[in-house]
Amino acid sequence: MNVQLFALAIVDGVSYAALVFLVAVGLTLIFGVLRVLNVAHGSFYAIGAYTTASVGGAIFAAGFSPWLAFPLMIVAAVLVGTLIGGPIEKFLLSRIYHLEDVLQILVTFAVFLILEDFQRLVWGVQPLFEATALNQLGTVTVFGITYTAYQLIFLPVVAVLVLVGLRLGLRRTLTGRLITAVTEDREAAITIGIDAEKVYLITFIVGASLAALGGALASATTSVVPGMGADMIVLSFAVVATAGLGQIEGAAITALMIGLGRSFAVYVWPEMQVLVPYLIMFGVLLVRPQGLFGGIEARKI
Amino acid sequence: MLTLKDVTVRLGGVRILRNVDLKIEKSSTVALIGANGAGKTTTLRTIMGLTEMTGQIEFDGAVLSKVAPSRRPGLGIGYAAEDRRLFSGFTVEENIKMPGQVAGYSDADLAAKMERVYEILPELKEMAKRPAGAVSGGQGKMVALGRALVIGSKLIMLDEPFQGLAPALAHKYADALRKLRNRDREVTLIITESNPDLLRKFAERTLVIERGEIREARSHITTG
Repeated sequence: MNVQLFALAIVDGVSYAALVFLVAVGLTLIFGVLRVLNVAHGSFYAIGAYTTASVGGAIFAAGFSPWLAFPLMIVAAVLVGTLIGGPIEKFLLSRIYHLEDVLQILVTFAVFLILEDFQRLVWGVQPLFEATALNQLGTVTVFGITYTAYQLIFLPVVAVLVLVGLRLGLRRTLTGRLITAVTEDREAAITIGIDAEKVYLITFIVGASLAALGGALASATTSVVPGMGADMIVLSFAVVATAGLGQIEGAAITALMIGLGRSFAVYVWPEMQVLVPYLIMFGVLLVRPQGLFGGIEARKI
Repeated sequence: MLTLKDVTVRLGGVRILRNVDLKIEKSSTVALIGANGAGKTTTLRTIMGLTEMTGQIEFDGAVLSKVAPSRRPGLGIGYAAEDRRLFSGFTVEENIKMPGQVAGYSDADLAAKMERVYEILPELKEMAKRPAGAVSGGQGKMVALGRALVIGSKLIMLDEPFQGLAPALAHKYADALRKLRNRDREVTLIITESNPDLLRKFAERTLVIERGEIREARSHITTG
């Protein structure tokens, strides 16, 4: 493997890890606070991608500025998280928190199946491709390889901003503190006046919006196709399980590990590409069943 | 001021509280005495809205049992659970302030409340910046009392505050309660305890809870 291939593998891995991280951190946030493993989480990723690609295609065809691609992603992510994620938590998940884990997973799996068909109903099965945002940022050359600035710089920067923003938001804003308090002890939080139901709803919307943002960002780099949500949820489960459920920084490091592992496999041993994330997960969980960063301690995020 | 009317609580098919009728006057100091499992904790938890109950609870002119549990502290009710239940990721001071922040107190208002807390519990000032997860069990009870003081302008309920306190700390805790009583004549205090002697001098009224039924203590002069 020469230097260029090595650099290419690293860049591929990092930009892919950035997308995986956004989805996985939303999943781990929701699990950390609500204690529900949301199988439908990947659907927010797919719907975020579909919304961005279809709306983007329409507004650019109508002659609007291509720079609108970036605010569009944020708007699409927040709308998907709020308008689809919000009602799912409020009218469905809020009724099943007292049920067994396996029943909760079945319910969210059913939501996933419904949302998959919903996507086919709205956007059909033809792939969508809308790369305006990618083209808009041009390319850069490092170590003799030319790569899109969007994937090399923009995606990792967004991922780091989300990581730092989440940590600061949880620590320094009142809403973040309330989320932290409800996570540790829901009942004690209620006895000091915290509306735990509202905290759950806000957390779910934030987590769903992060997945949708991952999809919105991904839509510029790849074709938006049916089934992309399923691929992503499986991969982000692997990341979250490897990191330890509820671990935000852990999800970032693990996403990077799995992203790099996957991209090196592409160049070194392509047949293993799909398997590598699960091999990493398998190896880690064999040694540390609670995940790399998970501990047996008070619940926290 | 606080009235329980025919309150019954079942947990897993067992009646923990049986048709409790109870009236507690404003600014009184009430001891609720009973053995383990008699229903002391359930009584306080029911007032906080943490159990499924039948019957009705009224507080300060409102039907409390119809108010969502998370809105009850905002009516001026401070509650310290038996196991201190602090938020370990925050400092002692952040823990104490939190109910006030949730209730939307202004900065000046919260500062005044904090001054009151530190006046009644001066030892909290020394540990204000320490993580709540790092204080001892007894100190944690002090912090939980401080947290109840911030929001509890009308009613403060303490569940077995002396349970597991070292004698020196128990002394300090009792001092704090006396200071609170002298400083603030308005507030109503309900304190549960399994040892009937501990609160005898302090409480104006002693209630005994036995197998989910509450009655006045016989050998006690009621002034409240």
